[in-house]
Amino acid sequence: MTQPQPTPDTQWPRWEVFKQDAPNRPWQAVGSVHAGDPDHALLTARNVFARRPSAVSLWAVRESDILTATPEEIAARPEVLETPGEAGTYHLGLKRTHKRSMTFVDLVGTLEASGPGDALRQARELHPDALTWLVFPESAVVRTSDDPGTVESWFAPAKDKTYKQQQYYGVIGRRVGELKREGKMPGRVNEEPHVGDHKVYDHPHDRAPKVQR
Amino acid sequence: MTGSGQPSAVSRQQEMLTPELQAVLIRKLTALADDEIILAHRDGEWTGHAPILEEDIALANIAQDELGHATLYLDLRRALDGSDSDRLAFFRDAGEFTNVRLVELPKGDWAFTMLRQFLFDAYEALWLDAARGSTYAPLAEVAAKAVREERFHLQHTALWVERLALGTEESRRRTQNALNELWPHVAQLFDPVLGEAELVAAGIVPDLGEVRVRWEGFVVPHLTGKCGLLLPMTLAEVAEGRDVHTEHLAPLLAEMQGVARQHANAEVW
Repeated sequence: MTQPQPTPDTQWPRWEVFKQDAPNRPWQAVGSVHAGDPDHALLTARNVFARRPSAVSLWAVRESDILTATPEEIAARPEVLETPGEAGTYHLGLKRTHKRSMTFVDLVGTLEASGPGDALRQARELHPDALTWLVFPESAVVRTSDDPGTVESWFAPAKDKTYKQQQYYGVIGRRVGELKREGKMPGRVNEEPHVGDHKVYDHPHDRAPKVQR
Repeated sequence: MTGSGQPSAVSRQQEMLTPELQAVLIRKLTALADDEIILAHRDGEWTGHAPILEEDIALANIAQDELGHATLYLDLRRALDGSDSDRLAFFRDAGEFTNVRLVELPKGDWAFTMLRQFLFDAYEALWLDAARGSTYAPLAEVAAKAVREERFHLQHTALWVERLALGTEESRRRTQNALNELWPHVAQLFDPVLGEAELVAAGIVPDLGEVRVRWEGFVVPHLTGKCGLLLPMTLAEVAEGRDVHTEHLAPLLAEMQGVARQHANAEVW
């Protein structure tokens, strides 16, 4: 009964990053990083997800500590509600809409559960209309420190920085336009609007027709 | 790199400087900015090549922060002499740059890059920390702003040096090699510019000797105690000044300044 040797996975583990924009706002899932350990995950998360937008706190949770499910997945595999694990406090995240392209899950609170499956079952009872439920134990969370020194060096610099507005990049396009009018550029260059002048990404669901009820 | 107008506090402050002190301060601000510009360029060479995507982003962020600090220093200089930051960055030759040789060495491997950045971040964070108390208020403001980012850089690079030093045999060997190669260059960070003692006496910039004591008190225990690296025997003293460069600076500038020099009249590039 020898199994073929699996190719060793040399990737560092994946960590889901949750960002709090301001006090009294929920932590929101903003994406993931790969990192070798919790401290590295947080440091990288700061660079990737909190360099410009305002933030006051970051959490990182190892992906393997998170249990997620959609209603369809639970219907197909109800045994996910039996997923064993440690009893204790679980954080609960919900995805409620497809509309937003950047933020998929808000953390909405905690509950006491006998394991991840139980936490998921409770999540489904409390929020039956969610598109996705996400649970992870409190013990799996690594957090940025709340001390003023950390907040100042991790998050304060971003407050002074703003995104460069997209139309700023149009300056380059205008420059090309000037050169073109002076006959110094080939005719076809820049006749299409510069991609930076426009919204680049349209989420398919933004265009979906409204369902008549 | 041109910024917004300077607050009037600058003009009030600079009236308090004698012409001699102004000249030294201009020299010092340029040296500070040159270190940041050249190091930022070396860090930027990793863009698209760092070991993992997350670190690619992180190092590009650090490079941008360092360039931002250069802009702050050059804005302070501009307030004193009306100089143009972009011309200073993009139209001076190697002989006119006054960066330390540490920052112009080729980027090497990841261990070399992280260790150099760690050594520099520790120096910059401690210098800025002390410069927050400058009697020249515009510099004190800049230091208070930049030190926040620098503390974060230092956390990031200290973490990397530790993990590389304690990682595999290969990563330990590379980190030790990097230390052996970089260590003789660190003394120049604490070498004052001509006339700097007068700035120190006026409380305008921190005393580099004191910064060096704090730097060694932080860096040496981290490298030897926490990371188990062997420190090369001595911190070599500096034989040559900031106007003497390795053969690596000129090619760096050729690349960094290429676009600006080819399109010298462009309003934006």
